[in-house]
Amino acid sequence: MKKLTLATTSVVLAGTLLLAACSNNGNEAPANSPTSGNSNVQAGGSNNSGSASQGLTDTILASDISKLPDQAEKRTDMIIVGLTDPSGAFTPYFQQSGYDGNVSSLLYTPLVTVDDEGVPQPGLAEKWEVSPDSLTYTFHLRKDLKFSDGSPLTSEDVAFTWTILNDKSYDGDSQVNTLGVKGSAAYKDGSATSIEGIKVTDPQTISVTLDKPNAAALVLLGSDVLSKAYYGKDYKQGNLDYMKQLSSKPLGTGPYKLEKFIPGQEVRFTANENYYGEKPKTKNFIYKTSEGDTWQYLETGEVDYASFSATTENIDKLKSLGFVNIVPYTPSTYSYLQLNFEHKALDDKKVRQALTYGLDRQSIYVDANQGAGVVANIPSSPISWAYTEDNINPYKFDTEKAKSLLDEAGWTVGAGGIREKDGEKLKIHYLGTKSKNTDIFIAVAKENFAALGVEFEPEVFADFNSLVSKVEGGDYDMVSFSTPLLTDPSDGLLQFVDGEIKGYDNPKFKELYEKGLATTDMEERKAIYKEIFQLLNDDLPVIFTNYKKSVYAYNARIENLSISPFYGLASSLPNWNLK
Amino acid sequence: MSTYFVKRLTYMAIILLAASFLIFSLYALTPGDFITGNIKLTPERKAELREIYGLSKPLIERYLTWMTNAIHGDFGYSLAQQKPVLTLFNQYIWNSFLLAAVSTFFTWLIAVVIGVIAAYKQYSWFDTLVMVLIFAAMSIPSFFIGLFLIKVLAVDLKWLPPGGMITTGSNAQGLAYVKEVMHHMTLPVIVMTLLGVGSLTRYFRSNMIDVIKQDYIRTARAKGLTERKVLFTHALRNALLPAITLVGFELPALFGGSLIIEKIFNWPGIGQLYMQSFGLRDYPLLMGFTMFIAVLTVIGTLMSDILYHLADPRVKL
Repeated sequence: MKKLTLATTSVVLAGTLLLAACSNNGNEAPANSPTSGNSNVQAGGSNNSGSASQGLTDTILASDISKLPDQAEKRTDMIIVGLTDPSGAFTPYFQQSGYDGNVSSLLYTPLVTVDDEGVPQPGLAEKWEVSPDSLTYTFHLRKDLKFSDGSPLTSEDVAFTWTILNDKSYDGDSQVNTLGVKGSAAYKDGSATSIEGIKVTDPQTISVTLDKPNAAALVLLGSDVLSKAYYGKDYKQGNLDYMKQLSSKPLGTGPYKLEKFIPGQEVRFTANENYYGEKPKTKNFIYKTSEGDTWQYLETGEVDYASFSATTENIDKLKSLGFVNIVPYTPSTYSYLQLNFEHKALDDKKVRQALTYGLDRQSIYVDANQGAGVVANIPSSPISWAYTEDNINPYKFDTEKAKSLLDEAGWTVGAGGIREKDGEKLKIHYLGTKSKNTDIFIAVAKENFAALGVEFEPEVFADFNSLVSKVEGGDYDMVSFSTPLLTDPSDGLLQFVDGEIKGYDNPKFKELYEKGLATTDMEERKAIYKEIFQLLNDDLPVIFTNYKKSVYAYNARIENLSISPFYGLASSLPNWNLK
Repeated sequence: MSTYFVKRLTYMAIILLAASFLIFSLYALTPGDFITGNIKLTPERKAELREIYGLSKPLIERYLTWMTNAIHGDFGYSLAQQKPVLTLFNQYIWNSFLLAAVSTFFTWLIAVVIGVIAAYKQYSWFDTLVMVLIFAAMSIPSFFIGLFLIKVLAVDLKWLPPGGMITTGSNAQGLAYVKEVMHHMTLPVIVMTLLGVGSLTRYFRSNMIDVIKQDYIRTARAKGLTERKVLFTHALRNALLPAITLVGFELPALFGGSLIIEKIFNWPGIGQLYMQSFGLRDYPLLMGFTMFIAVLTVIGTLMSDILYHLADPRVKL
């Protein structure tokens, strides 16, 4: 192949599919998982799935720091981290890619952050109160907050931020506009010129009232703040088009500010002298665009930090480098097989349970994946404060049990060993994105399902978008997906109530879901989510498959490095110190 | 001549119009749209966003809107990157052009020299060796040879950087910057040249072999001209004639970027940008870029026709 030029569309299309395929395999796990708030990341498919049987549980310290490449050694006031593809749209709420979210997470500080278990902690707001009816949230901002240009940050800016997110022309994926802030509907349709529920009491105090309690509101509302003076000077209700012009010139409140963006190459940051917290210990930081493999950059010292899928192979290779510390972590997501409820067989709980029992998830997601995964049984990440294993059926691989469940459900073995009911064959049309892990899944599942007497028809897509559109068209029985990054325990349940999984309708679950959002008391919520997880573990609206396991490796000269499952490196970055 | 141009330009306009509609339909009919891939959105919000972006409108209406704007020079904003499509082209295309121009230069230079010598010494050991090497270079996949060279020259020997266009964090200016970019582009240029040189060498070799057998070469030799003069003035000029067709095709290739090479060497070119945009279904960018390539292709063809006329007066326009 000479230069693969783009002369004709057909070549383009074919080439695209080809490359999309190439780009998915391998041991990636993006350089840095996108931060919450924005993740248009292609989390599709069972790729990057991973586990823990022989997985890493403790930090491995660098064995020989003298192996550190000169290039990394020479840097004294600069840290470089690879990031797949920041595009240059750095305004939070208005960006389409999770990688841009990684960039803006350094430029902006939220009102409320969360700790490593997802429990809210003070950010720009030093404290907050929730009214007894759980409808009104009052935030108290820290004193003397400033944007990076030195202008003051007040509750007017917070009010402005919430207001434009409820504008009718807002086209981002923030969920603030789904919270039902009192009066937001009237603002959206233009019958009101301000949002009734947002009240500025004084420059440090602001409150917001919802129509309906929602425990996830605290973190959703308590996100980044946009300057009214900067982002609001051209704002007219119903028209946010001008925001595009500001997307490459962010004005934030974070530990760093943008120094320079070189498209396709680097995002350069420098310490923000107006940051409310402690000054970053390392003055300069760079996100280096690094499509595909980051190995070569870590090995040559061009980047200081990279993250990989926690396979034995990757861990061994990282150990052999000698100059990196290796730390395991679990991203806050879960993977699952979505089932089509319009298919009569799958509408039957017994059949769903049978398929779960009959699928050797340990082999697929843990063993074949060299330990870079753990089997999942509930819709919550194991790092969440709501996670539980109490009374959770692990659905241990059991072909006999699966067979008897199918018998009970009325599917009996017919001609050719395939189960039938009312003259219809039990057939699973599976969709997956092209990757090594999908190949493993198909190989094992085919065998597992054949043993049950279920016909298995896999179909593999090179392009995530095409796969989703096929799912939306309803022409499937089973499809592999991963959730985006989950912060609140309700995030992982949203898909069961918002109509995304068509046909799943359990009034008991809906009631519990509402109950879980109706209170902000953590202990109370914990009990409710436990009940929900037990219910869904039995009901199986989807087949829960696995949690991913990753490791991050970094130049051992860096001190105080830790990675939050929700913000990635953003929360600890100001403390990173080069020895 | 002028009637010829009027005719040609009319054809070009019609071709581009037809191409634009075809390309637009192809993109629009590819399963999934810009909203589909965002797994964070609820079905309701997806419908709302399709309304905002106008994706729920009928195909023809969308096409006419795009076309009207395009004729006024407005190619719209990239949906994903939130910048005007033309600004993005300007940011990325020159990087691709730099890589393509340099490697095309070396490809042609090497191909002509080797092609001529191989033809002149047909079936000699040199010719055989060159042919073997050329077939070997042509049959190795670009990603393999790219990664292999990175492993050897960048990671193990540390002679060349593994990728990118400048040293990360570098503030080099002027000459130092030029040096840095040259250093970084060495590997990709080597790979691109290596992959391109094979077919072109074979092309020149066979043209040359045809020409050498012509009567006028025998005449030239009979006149007592030096072998050098015979080869490079009489034979090569004629052997290069058919290559003019190739020049026309090179034009879009110069600006089109190279998907694989740019990805492997982390080169900030338009090929990579296009790839990402395709995955996301960033329609304005996809349309803008594909049309740009279509325009270049049409211009390239026109150019090679004119060049033909200039080089060979026997060709009538």
